[in-house]
Amino acid sequence: MKTSTFFIFACALAVCGSLQASAESKITLKMGDNLPDRNNTWGAIVEQINGEFKAAHPGTEIVTESYPDQPYQQKIKIYATAKQLPDLFKFWSVTSLLKPLVDGGFVAPLERAAFETMGYRPGALDANTYNGKLYGIPVSMDFWVIYYNKKLFKDAGIDHVPTTLDELYAMVPRLKAKGLIPMTTDGKDAWPLSITFDQLVWRISGERGLPGKALERKIKFTDPVFVQAARELQQLVKSGLFQEDLMVSDYGAARNLFGQGKAAMYLMGSWELGLGADKSFSNEFRANVDVFKFPTVKNGKGNVDDLMGWYGGNYVISAASKNLALDKQYLQFYARRFPELAWDKQATLPAQTVKARPSDTPVAQSILRIAAEAKATSGTPAVDLATPRFKSDHENAIRELCSSLISPEDFVKKLDAAADKAVKK
Amino acid sequence: MARDPSRSRRTIAWLVAPGLAVLVFSLVVPLGFSVYYSLTDSAGFGDYQRVGLDNYKAILTDDPVFWRALRNVLILIAMTIFVQNPVAFALAAVLSRLSARASRLLRTAYFVPAVLSLVIVAKLWVDVFNPTFGILNKVLRLVGLDAIAVSWLSDPHTALAAVIWIILWQGFGWALLFYYAALMTVPRDLEEAARVDGATGWQAYRHVVIPHLAPVIATVIIIDVISSMKQMELIYLSTEGGPGDLTQFLGVYLYQKAFVAGEYGYGSALSVLFVVISAGLTFAVQRGMRVIAR
Repeated sequence: MKTSTFFIFACALAVCGSLQASAESKITLKMGDNLPDRNNTWGAIVEQINGEFKAAHPGTEIVTESYPDQPYQQKIKIYATAKQLPDLFKFWSVTSLLKPLVDGGFVAPLERAAFETMGYRPGALDANTYNGKLYGIPVSMDFWVIYYNKKLFKDAGIDHVPTTLDELYAMVPRLKAKGLIPMTTDGKDAWPLSITFDQLVWRISGERGLPGKALERKIKFTDPVFVQAARELQQLVKSGLFQEDLMVSDYGAARNLFGQGKAAMYLMGSWELGLGADKSFSNEFRANVDVFKFPTVKNGKGNVDDLMGWYGGNYVISAASKNLALDKQYLQFYARRFPELAWDKQATLPAQTVKARPSDTPVAQSILRIAAEAKATSGTPAVDLATPRFKSDHENAIRELCSSLISPEDFVKKLDAAADKAVKK
Repeated sequence: MARDPSRSRRTIAWLVAPGLAVLVFSLVVPLGFSVYYSLTDSAGFGDYQRVGLDNYKAILTDDPVFWRALRNVLILIAMTIFVQNPVAFALAAVLSRLSARASRLLRTAYFVPAVLSLVIVAKLWVDVFNPTFGILNKVLRLVGLDAIAVSWLSDPHTALAAVIWIILWQGFGWALLFYYAALMTVPRDLEEAARVDGATGWQAYRHVVIPHLAPVIATVIIIDVISSMKQMELIYLSTEGGPGDLTQFLGVYLYQKAFVAGEYGYGSALSVLFVVISAGLTFAVQRGMRVIAR
């Protein structure tokens, strides 16, 4: 009896030992990003890069967690709180949401020299350089545009894209008469409204970076230009331009309304240029999607080529990762492969320079043209420039403004109060 | 057989220990952490400073959203007690009179919402309430009621009512199930005796059946109060407290403060207040029920 018990015990130990040995020969890289769709455009490219990396590094396993933007941001904060950050993860830039993580010592610094020869656009790496160290590599060049469906425009008898807000307003009844939603955007998450607000401030004032100056408390949000921009933004919503449930429809809902041909325009960033290649939408849609610049405001001093633009979607390494050397190899591999694949599949405009090709989708050609014609870019939008608390206050205030719960005057007062708190911090 | 009392006490202690340990680690320890962090300005990670009772002071004196969230919780509690419960009770009473087959079929139908995943329930109603493509507005427009075909979940006038409706709809099956099970235990002869003594149907219910069910009613109400207090998922999945915090509830609000706004200390203070309010309210309701039962 005793011998058999001993035998079973010994066998169990041996099995445990061999399991452990096989686990040790495998390295699992944990990753996180905001690209839940792994079969189309951007997410599919990441999967392809992961596949190539695994093939080049036998014994490496990659496990990715993906959520839409806002849940993803929350998840990362929770992981940081619990000290369980993934080895490598995509996050916003140091000028915005990454800063608290860098300050908390959660992010490993990178060797900038290794990335400098990789064809990044001028300034792209600077957005993530902090106290002289590079903390992440940017992946996309982001700017604020309006996508539109050429066929739906034609159906409604509209033969040109609007260059002023008045022209945009004039289109609303014509598109509605065709049973279409004129424009969609993600109102639930509010940051698109905040970016639009910054864009309106620029269009009205003609001055770059006013919201940032207000955040530094050099000027006040109660200044007339901000009030006027808030009024204009509220008017955009009140005019019936957006989907009726703007304030509760999230990123996916807004994107789908446009992709399924139920909305004629989609207010979003250049990272959505993959719409022209997204196989989850119809051929007809993909052939007809194009993009135009955010219109100018009547009597505004701003130029149509002043772009709300920044570098986005940075990859960073957790300082607590047990596989730092492999993480860094992955980042270099990613930095090399991503721009090629992203442009090849027309998924997004990479942070590195790309060459136009005749085979580019119309929307990709337009995005390249808009980028080339830009006279100035804004850098990180104000909503992301200060503390997480400011971001949350800003978003809540803009939700109230766009739900017509508060007046433009009260909105700017709330921004001032939020900025005061952010500065005190 | 003589027993050593200290030994049996030791046995009891050993038997209680595992349960007690679970309770301590899952409840007391986290609560202790929350109390500790509620006295700091922690962002959840990185350095933080002790700020004494500042967070509590700010919540109680300078945070209209907290009070609105609390008010919404109280409205929800009132709606479950005074709308959901009577309707569930009445339906259970009808079901208890139907043939076994019809009753089983209807019970299953009424209970379906309670077994659905909350995500499905939330998405279902978000779609029903969709102003453009939602079935509700389509029906309203069909019968010429265009004027009230609003954007239910984002219109400031209807948002709270709409989310409360979703919560009531989802929780209705449970109340019904409790009442139905309880009604089946009421001895028929009691009711019949009342009838023989000349009681009408309503009088028999009022003076015989309902008093018999008092403990069940009390239990259901306490469960309602607790589940209304901690209501979070359906709000988070439908409006996230919007538009403009109009549908904010305590559970969502403290989560947003701690993990969205990066005010972990403030969120912790909210969670401590939340526990105190929940415990107080549950205690008060239990007390109230006992008084009524007497």
